Amino acid sequence: MAMTVGGADEYNSEINVTPMVDVMLVLLIIFMIVTPLLQQGVSVNLPKEMNSPDEDPDIAKDTSVIVAIPDNSNFYIGKEPYPLDTLGEKINRLMENKTPDKRIVYIKSGIEVDYGTVVNAVNEIRKQDIDKIGLVADKKKGAPAQPQ
Amino acid sequence: MGMSSGGSKGATPNINVTPLIDVLLVLLIIFMVITPSKPTRFEAKVPAEPKPDQQQADIKPNPLTLVVTVNKSDSKIFLNKEKELGDISDTKPLSDELSRLFKEREANGSFREGTNEVEKTVFIKSPRSVKYGDVVKIIDAVKLAGASPVGLQIDDLSE
Repeated sequence: MAMTVGGADEYNSEINVTPMVDVMLVLLIIFMIVTPLLQQGVSVNLPKEMNSPDEDPDIAKDTSVIVAIPDNSNFYIGKEPYPLDTLGEKINRLMENKTPDKRIVYIKSGIEVDYGTVVNAVNEIRKQDIDKIGLVADKKKGAPAQPQ
Repeated sequence: MGMSSGGSKGATPNINVTPLIDVLLVLLIIFMVITPSKPTRFEAKVPAEPKPDQQQADIKPNPLTLVVTVNKSDSKIFLNKEKELGDISDTKPLSDELSRLFKEREANGSFREGTNEVEKTVFIKSPRSVKYGDVVKIIDAVKLAGASPVGLQIDDLSE
């Protein structure tokens, strides 16, 4: 396998990039496959760089109810759009079997959405006897954990 | 490619594990990067819907409850409608003032009625036309000061 360039005792000074390319391609393919799978529901421009939100692994669970508000006129639960007047009914159905301490509805709203739109959704939620809502926001990296 | 065992030119049966390790390390790194992005949220309470038969006069207003309001025209933040504490672009005065208030209450023993916990309830009242992102910034500032629970006022909001 030795490549003889010029003299018989000279070493080959080229870097072999084939393994690196292999690894990069594998990375690329993994990300291409994983990225669409990771996303649940619709994409929303969440508030970022917040100092003090609490971690809540329940948000990622399939059983939790998440209302997504990407813009001023649409409300989504999962990937399905619901108009404001049927939102409450749907939430009520999803919340039926939950224990009182699990009765929390998460809201994923875009930062450009008017607060009034969010309030309208919250108003529908509280009509279902739910008094706890979770406003989903991204935590700033490296921000200290807040004592509960 | 015949493998001659025993002879002096016998090939040593080593598996080259380097590519395997490469791929596994990459996988490890990917999972290390993905896992820490745990979802986070602010918990907020919303008052129950006012019932038509409920007598409004029966509810005694709590003198210790704090309300943070936002002015629509100039984005200024007010605490209990009297004290101006910066605006939406800088929420530090708000968190500082709230932390100071909570410390003061701790020192004075201003407890929630019937308990021995310091009253740290803060309500947020914002006009409907304010951007949601700005309201979340205020919630962040209030939470940073140690307020719990944070309540959102839903009724009677101005445009």
